[in-house]
Formats: sequence, C-alpha cells, structure tokens
Amino acid sequence: MKNPLIKRIPKELVGDWQKYLVIVVFMVLMIGFVSGMSVGRDSMLAAINTGKITLKLEDGSFEFKNKASEELIGAIEKGDMADVREYLINKGYEEADEEVAKAIDEELEKQVTEGIETAVRAQCEAYGITDEDMIQSQIDTFMEENYEDALEEARNSDEFKEAVSDAYKEAHEEVVKAVDEKWDETVEEYNLDDPDFSPVKVTVYEHFFKNEDEDFDKDGVKDAAVRVFKSTDEVDKASFNEGRAPEKDNEIAIDRMHASNVGIKIGDTILVGGKEFEVVGLLSYINYTSLHENNNDLMFDAFGFNVAMVTPEGFDSLRTRTHYSYAYFYDVKPSGKVAQADYADKFLKALITQSVVFDNDLEDFLPECYRQASNFAPSDVEGDAAGTEILCYILIAVIAFIFAITISNTIDKEASVIGTMRASGYTKGELIFHYLSTPVVVTLIGAAIGNILGYTWFKEVAVNIYFETYSLPNCGVVWSPVALVKTTVIPLSLMFLINLFVIVRKLQLSPLKFLRHDLRRTKRTKARRIPAWSFMNRFRLRILFQNIPNYAILIFGIVFVEVMLCFAFGLPDSLNHYGDRAPDMLFAKYQYMLAGTKDDDGNELVTANEDAEKFNSTSLLYEKNVTSFIKGRGSGGTTEAVTVYGIEDGSKYVVIGAELNDGEVYISSAFKDKFGFDTGDKITLSEEFANKSYEFTVSGIVDYEGGIAVFMPNDNFISVFDKKEGSFTGYFSNEEITDIDEKYIATVIDKDDIVKVTTQLMHSMGGFMVVAQYVLLVLSAALIFLLTKIIIERNEHSISMVKILGFKNSEISALYMIPTAFIVLLFTLLGFGAGYVILIYVFRAFMLQMDGWFTFYMSTKSMAMSIVYMLVGYAAVSVIDFIRIKKIPMDEALKNVE
Amino acid sequence: MSEEEKKFLEIHDLRKSFGTGEAKQDVLRGMDFTVSKGEFCVLLGPSGSGKSTLLNIIGGIDTPDSGYVSINGDKLKDMDEKALTMYRRKHLGYVFQMYNLIPNLNVKENIEVGAYLSDHPLNVDDVISTLGLEDHKYKYPNQLSGGQQQRVSIGRAVVKNPDILMCDEPTGALDYKTSKEILGLIENCNQKFGNTVIMVTHNEAIRYMADHVIKLRDGVVRHNDINDKKIPASELEW
Repeated sequence: MKNPLIKRIPKELVGDWQKYLVIVVFMVLMIGFVSGMSVGRDSMLAAINTGKITLKLEDGSFEFKNKASEELIGAIEKGDMADVREYLINKGYEEADEEVAKAIDEELEKQVTEGIETAVRAQCEAYGITDEDMIQSQIDTFMEENYEDALEEARNSDEFKEAVSDAYKEAHEEVVKAVDEKWDETVEEYNLDDPDFSPVKVTVYEHFFKNEDEDFDKDGVKDAAVRVFKSTDEVDKASFNEGRAPEKDNEIAIDRMHASNVGIKIGDTILVGGKEFEVVGLLSYINYTSLHENNNDLMFDAFGFNVAMVTPEGFDSLRTRTHYSYAYFYDVKPSGKVAQADYADKFLKALITQSVVFDNDLEDFLPECYRQASNFAPSDVEGDAAGTEILCYILIAVIAFIFAITISNTIDKEASVIGTMRASGYTKGELIFHYLSTPVVVTLIGAAIGNILGYTWFKEVAVNIYFETYSLPNCGVVWSPVALVKTTVIPLSLMFLINLFVIVRKLQLSPLKFLRHDLRRTKRTKARRIPAWSFMNRFRLRILFQNIPNYAILIFGIVFVEVMLCFAFGLPDSLNHYGDRAPDMLFAKYQYMLAGTKDDDGNELVTANEDAEKFNSTSLLYEKNVTSFIKGRGSGGTTEAVTVYGIEDGSKYVVIGAELNDGEVYISSAFKDKFGFDTGDKITLSEEFANKSYEFTVSGIVDYEGGIAVFMPNDNFISVFDKKEGSFTGYFSNEEITDIDEKYIATVIDKDDIVKVTTQLMHSMGGFMVVAQYVLLVLSAALIFLLTKIIIERNEHSISMVKILGFKNSEISALYMIPTAFIVLLFTLLGFGAGYVILIYVFRAFMLQMDGWFTFYMSTKSMAMSIVYMLVGYAAVSVIDFIRIKKIPMDEALKNVE
Repeated sequence: MSEEEKKFLEIHDLRKSFGTGEAKQDVLRGMDFTVSKGEFCVLLGPSGSGKSTLLNIIGGIDTPDSGYVSINGDKLKDMDEKALTMYRRKHLGYVFQMYNLIPNLNVKENIEVGAYLSDHPLNVDDVISTLGLEDHKYKYPNQLSGGQQQRVSIGRAVVKNPDILMCDEPTGALDYKTSKEILGLIENCNQKFGNTVIMVTHNEAIRYMADHVIKLRDGVVRHNDINDKKIPASELEW
C-alpha cells in the first residue's frame, strides 16, 4: 500500500499555493538562468576550443624592431640558443682590429715622417744650411721622393711586424677579457646557463600588422584605433559571421563586435589610416576574442579598438610603420600550463640570444597562454557561470532555510498528530521522509521547469550576452550533463540536507513529548527577562524572541540583498565616477608616444608646438603579492605594469616637488592607493624580458589616478636606464601636435584611453545592473513576504485570540508588524553599511588581480536608492500582511481547545 | 483460553516517578496485573492516579523506572527504540481524547494512514461503514463534529487490526450521546475484530461494559475485578 501521507503533499502545495508559487517562480528563474548560463558557457567554450584548432590559434608571438632575416627566422625555428659570447668576441675582434690597424698606421706614418725630417735636418746642418725655409723645402722635397719607399721599408721590417703582432694580441686579449666580464652579467641576466635548457622547435609565420587610426564617420576625427593584418590562411584565422574576406586592395573586413558597437555595416566605407575602405566582411579573429589593444589593458575595448583584415596590397598601401610581428607554433605541443610556461621560458632564451647575434631588437614576446585577447573571454565566461552558480546556491540555501522554518512550524502545529502517529507505529524515518517531500518536490518542479527554460530560452539569453560582449566564433548548442548536475543535483542536495538537518533535529523528541506539545529542547525554567517597557512593547519583544529563527533568515536575506543592491547601484556609479574624472586624470590633453626619436633622415623629431614638453618613459613590472580568490583571472598575472616617467625640470604637466636624488621617485596616487605605499617606502621594479631590477624610494605622491606610474627627473631617468643624453620617448601637450608625421607616432593617449575600461564595462554590465536592481527589489519583497507569512501563520491562534479580547486590527497589526519593520529597517541600514564596506574590499581584491586601478564609489543618491528599494519591497509586503492579519477569523482561537 | 492467552498483557511491579528531590512525585508505585487476550479492560481512576502514564508505558511511548510490561511474553524493557516502534506498528492502535487527525487529509485518507502500517489491515470501506462514516468519507476533519472526528480516530486505530486497542479518555471531549455512540463502536470493534481493548477513563459508568475493571488510585491498583455482568454500551447511564 502506498503511504497515504503522500496524498498530503499535493494538498499542501495547493492549500498554500501563493507561497509555493513565489518559491517555484524564484527557483525557476534562478535555476533557469544558471542552467542557461552553463549551457551558454559550454557552447561558447566548445566553439572557442574548436576554433583554436580549426582557425589555427598561434602558440605565441613575438615582435622585432626590424624585419627578421631568413637566417634569423631559421635559427629561431630550430630553438637553439645562440652563442652570444662568440658573437660578442668576434664583433669585438673586428672592432679592435680596425682600431689597432688605424693606430698602427697613424704611428708608422708619424715615425716615418719624423725619421725623414730628422735625417734631412741633420744633412742640412752638415752643409751649414740654417735658413728654416730652405730646410723645410728640403724636407718637403725629400718627403715627396722617399716617403712611400720609407713607409714600405718600415712596414717590412721585422721589428714592425713584431710590434703589430703584439698590438693585435694585446687588443684581442683585452676584448676577450671585456666580453668575459660582460658575459657573466649577461648569463645571469637571461639565466642562460640553465642546465635544463633544451631547444624548443617552432614554426614561425609572418604576422605583420599596422596600427592605424579609424574614422568610420569620415569626419576627419579619429574614432578608434584599428590593428590591420594581411589576410592569411596560415595562422590566427578569422571566422566570418557575415560577408567575406577582402579581395581588392580597397576592401576590408573588420571585427564584428566593434562593428556592432559603433554601427558599421557591410557595404559601409570607412577611413583607415586616411584611406577609404569598403567593409565587405564582419569577422572574429581567434586570437582576438576580446578586443584587448595591449596585453596589459585592464579591460578590452570593443568601442575604441578594432582588428581588421585587408589584402596584402591593401596592407602595403597603408603609410604607418609596420610592426614586424611573428606568430609561432610549437612543433610539439606542450600539455598543461606548467609545460606551456616552461616552453615559453626556453623559447624566450632562444629568441633573445638569436636577436642579439642577428643584430635585431626584440620588442615584444607573448606566449598564447598569457595572451589576454584570447584568454579573457573564456576565463570571463567561466567566471560568470561560477558567479551565477554561487549566487543561485546562496538563494537556494535561503529558500531551503525558509522551508526549514516553515516545516519546523508545521511540526510544532502538528505535534499531537505526530505524537499519535509515532504512538501508532510510524517510524521517524517515515515522518522525516514525509516532511522532506514538499521542499524536495518543489525543488524538483523548479529544477525541471528551470532546466527546460535554461536549455531553451535562457540559453539564448546567455549566448546573446556573450555574443554582445565578445568576438566569439559561431557556435552551436552543447548539451551539458555537468550543467544538469549543477542545476538539479546541487540545489536538490542543498534543499535536502538543510531540511533534513532541521527535521531530524526536530523529530528527535519522543512521541510522548509530541503528544504533550512539549517540544522544547532545553528546560528553561523561567521566562526570558525583558526590560520594564510598556505592555505593547514587551509584547512585541516577545514576538521577536519567539521568531528568532525567522528573523535570523530574514536578516541574512536582507544583508545579502543589500550587498547585492550595493553592487548593482555601486558598479555603474564607480564606472561613471571614474569616467567623469577621466579628463582630470591626464597630465596633458595629449600624450604622444613616439616610435623613435629620429625621422627617416636621421633628424630629431621636433615640434614647433610651444605647449609640447618632452618626456621619457619605460614600462617596468611590479611584483604583486596576491593571494586572492580570483587569482589567474583577467590579466591575471602576479605582476603589475608600471609606467616610469622621466620628467623635465620645471615641467608644467607633472609637478615633482623637491629635488630628487638618484633612486628617489614620486609615485602616482593610484599606485599609492592600490598597493598602500607611502613616502619613505621602497619599491622594487623589474624589467619584463630581463633579470634586471631597480629599487626606488618613494619621496612623494603625484595626484594621478589614471594609472600605476612612477615619476623621476629626466636626468635621473637617463642615468638610471642608461639612456643617451637628450633622448626622449614622447611629448606631453595640451594642443594637438600636427607637425610630426603620424608614422613616427606610436600611440596617443587621451581621455578616451583612460575611460575605455569603464566604457566597455558599462556596455557589458550597465544594462545588466539595472535589471539586477529590479530583480533584487522583487527578491527582497519575496523574502520578506515568505518570512512574515510564516510569522503571522505561527501566531494565527494568538492573533485570533487577541481579536476576541477586543484588540482592533490596527493594534494587532502594530503588534505583529512593528517588530518586523524594526528588524527590516535596522538590518537594511546595517546591511547597506556591510555591503558598502564589503564591496570596497571586494573591489580592491579584484583590482589587485588586474592591471590598473579604480575604486568602489557610490553616489549619495545610489546609497539612498539601495536602502529605498529594500523598504519599498517591505512596504508592499506590509500591505499584504495587514490584509492577512485582518482576514484571520476569530473562531481560529476556538477551533482547537486542546 | 490458554495460560499464555490469559497472561497476554502482564504488568509487573511497575514504578514510575517524575521530578527530583522535594518535587519528586511517584506516579506508579508498584503495579501488578494481567489482561487476557481479547478482553475489554477499563483502567479507572481519578486525575493523578497514574492511568495515562500506565497506558503510555504499555504503549511503549514511555518507560518505567522499574518493573516491566510484557505482551505475549515479550518484555518491552528489552526492546530498543526501533523494536518499540515496530511493536507499536504491528500490535497497537491508539485512540486519544483529542482526535489528532491530519487536517489536510479527508476521512478515508486519515483511516488509510492507519491501514498503511499493517500487514493485514481491515478493509477501509468496511471500517468506514462500521463507523457510520460513509456520508462523510471525503470530508476534511474541520468539516466534522467532535464525535465524527473521534470515529475517524477510532477507524484509524482499528483499521490496522491491532492486537491491542489503547484508548485514552476517548469520550473525554464528547457529550453524553456521542460518548455512548463512540463506546458502542469500540465495543463493536472489540467483538467483531477480537482486539484486546485497554481503555483509560475516569467515567465510572463505563466499567459496566468492560470484561475487566482495574481501579487505580495514587499509583497503585486498588481493585482488580472481572465483570461477569457486563452490559452493552448503549445501556450505560451517567
């Protein structure tokens, strides 16, 4: 026979349908969203992983200052380290030989000349010639007739040959000595004597690009930066979402995300590097799934940055300098992150040494595993899914506790029935199973509907969110069993375990105790002492004490929702606040970074612009001390890129207060805030591709929040970084510089560069935050609704009784609703405070993982709104509560006369 | 009747007290008696005489301080909690003064709650018919009068066809007429299904319908009488 108690479950669900409807709707939305995110994520990741193979994602790339010779590429492909010592010795010999030969020639000529002059003077003296003019004439005549012969004779003398040989030997010894001294430093610098080094063979492909200005509305003003590649089939291919690859030299295919963001369509014409191109395709490059212009960028920038494909002829027609970038594939693929790092380390040694011996400069090296533009999207997609899962589980746990309280109250109410059933022979297990059934059934219903919606509607939402954010290759739906487990088994387990714990604890008591309604676990002999307040207030206090578990859950829910509200209001505020202050964050309206300091003719790049001021800069790394939970995400490194500036004396753009000694620097306020440095602290910065580090002492702070930067006088910069006197890397200027050809300008940093992070974040998350604010409003109302419902139901009997005694509905409502109102108000304020503080720390922890810095900010209006939203939710529920109390009949108290 | 059947329920030197020190109250102070199988036994006594405590101990939901209860030769004190649950499940039916019905199950379903526990339950519809509840079988407890609710509670107890039907003041909350009806039903069940009935009551009149009357006072058995002249419940007067 089927357990007749099962028949209670549908009746229970129907009997209290409002409560269960609220719960089921919430579960459906949460589980559906998580399920959709999981399926969306798995589909995206599958598309990216397939794309890595089919679209030939590089294993890494490097860039040389000059085009690499075939011999250099050949050497790099073999993966061997070059013998830099031999190269340096040979080079030293050559230079030394040249100098020795020159010195010998000069000395020989001097000695022969002096010999002839001495001989002629002696002869003149013998003939009694004293007239200096005559003597000089004799010397000139003799010199003219015999100089060459004398020189030849001297060269052939054994004495001379011996002297020459000694000179060369000595010079070579000097060279070897000098190289050996330098060599030890070099070995240490590049860790070249690594005994574990083994060649990493690679295949190298040219992957040249040009950084151009994009002007899509053709108004003569730069709208974005665009990185233009030649069409290729060999490496880092593009997936075309629309249109085709360019075939003519005036055709271009551009990133689809950028096109969508700025409103470029197929058939439009845009200006790239001043040249008109017709857009024929919208693509996503497998190595640019997120549009990070630089690998150190905090955030990608699908508005201000674009990648594009043109034909080789179209590429050659662009005027700016070519970046000699090369992509490579390992011949044997490393498996796992450790092996990838090891390969990259070995390959870098080969790259550095070969570039030295082939007289080229390595400008950039980026293994794919560290590449933001191809790793950010998958890591973000995974992070988002994990984040939503955690939020979902927290809310399921809250609902599970609400269920647990409801069941606990039901058990109290049904104590005598339970006692009777236990006395009649029902086992504890049967009753536990029975009381567990409702939450489990509700969760199952929520999970079933949620998953159906997740795999259909929410999946589309999630995929669209990602497609609207990243330049992802086309993808199909991947049916993920893991998603099903996460959205069914975990919520079910949470619900099961939390309720099991509460029910088992509750049903521990003996049948007799149930029959006697004696459900206290501890023997409290006296009533809780409360202050001598007015009767009504003491009554309210008793209600508070009676419902401590309910209020505990309510408090947790309120604090949780408040933290989320702080985030939903605070994130857009922080981004807007940062954006608003961006113009003040620049040293100058324009910061020109030059590609070199001389033009093609060897002349220094100068400007007539009187506003312009030279500066020097270089990029170093600061070793972060990170232990945070989000390690590995985003730029994810353990190092922070720091820009070091050399500032001219009396600069009008950057004010460095006192005169500084070598090793003393000013740091930006962002650097100070992010890592907590202050005056007198020491900072160690190191070079990226060299084992070279610098220690500086902080002597002051420059009020600059736009980046992590260090400032020192230009003279100090030149001496610290061993630069040539008078060298510089760019100009600060408040006026646009128009008299330097743009091909010499590497980048211009202006307001848009500072705000691109926040613009992109606002685009990706701004809309979502507004939705989140409303969802949280509903969530807070639902939570308060469920919990106050329990409180009122638990007190139905008493409410009915006080009605009989003559209390008015308004008085009863004031009795039962004021404690809740007090708790809601108090903990909304405390929750807001907690949320605000928590988010400051969370932001900080998050930003410590990323490059760059901005802090959490909330406007007064947002602070008020995050409190008002919660109170609006409560106000709505209060009305329902009042109606509930009003509807409780007086005979409720007369029904059970036990 | 065999000796075993005569000693179907054996109570031996049963003692039980509550509280400690000065507050200690001896509720059962050495009780001894036996009940035969199929007997209708009434435990009579005023408030505080220990009759409900005794019933709870016989029902295995309370334990004595000393002495024992044996049913069909099995001593309850030798049973662990699980065994006691199985004992109640297989052998006992309970009827309380308050009906303790499950509010959101209808009459039939409430009776099925009892039937579910038994390996050889009676037919639920027969029980409903015996209890005169045909017209109410799809009603919820709150749609029934007190007497009707108590009938359902009796139905829930007898449907499992228990060896012993334990009734704790089953008419305590009912009026005279309804009480007689309920007593009649219990009598009917006793005769029809052969269950041993142990009924706790303070209503002296009920003794006349019993086979065996045990009068308790201050925790001891004052009278232990076999009633040779029992009368039907319908003829009881008080």
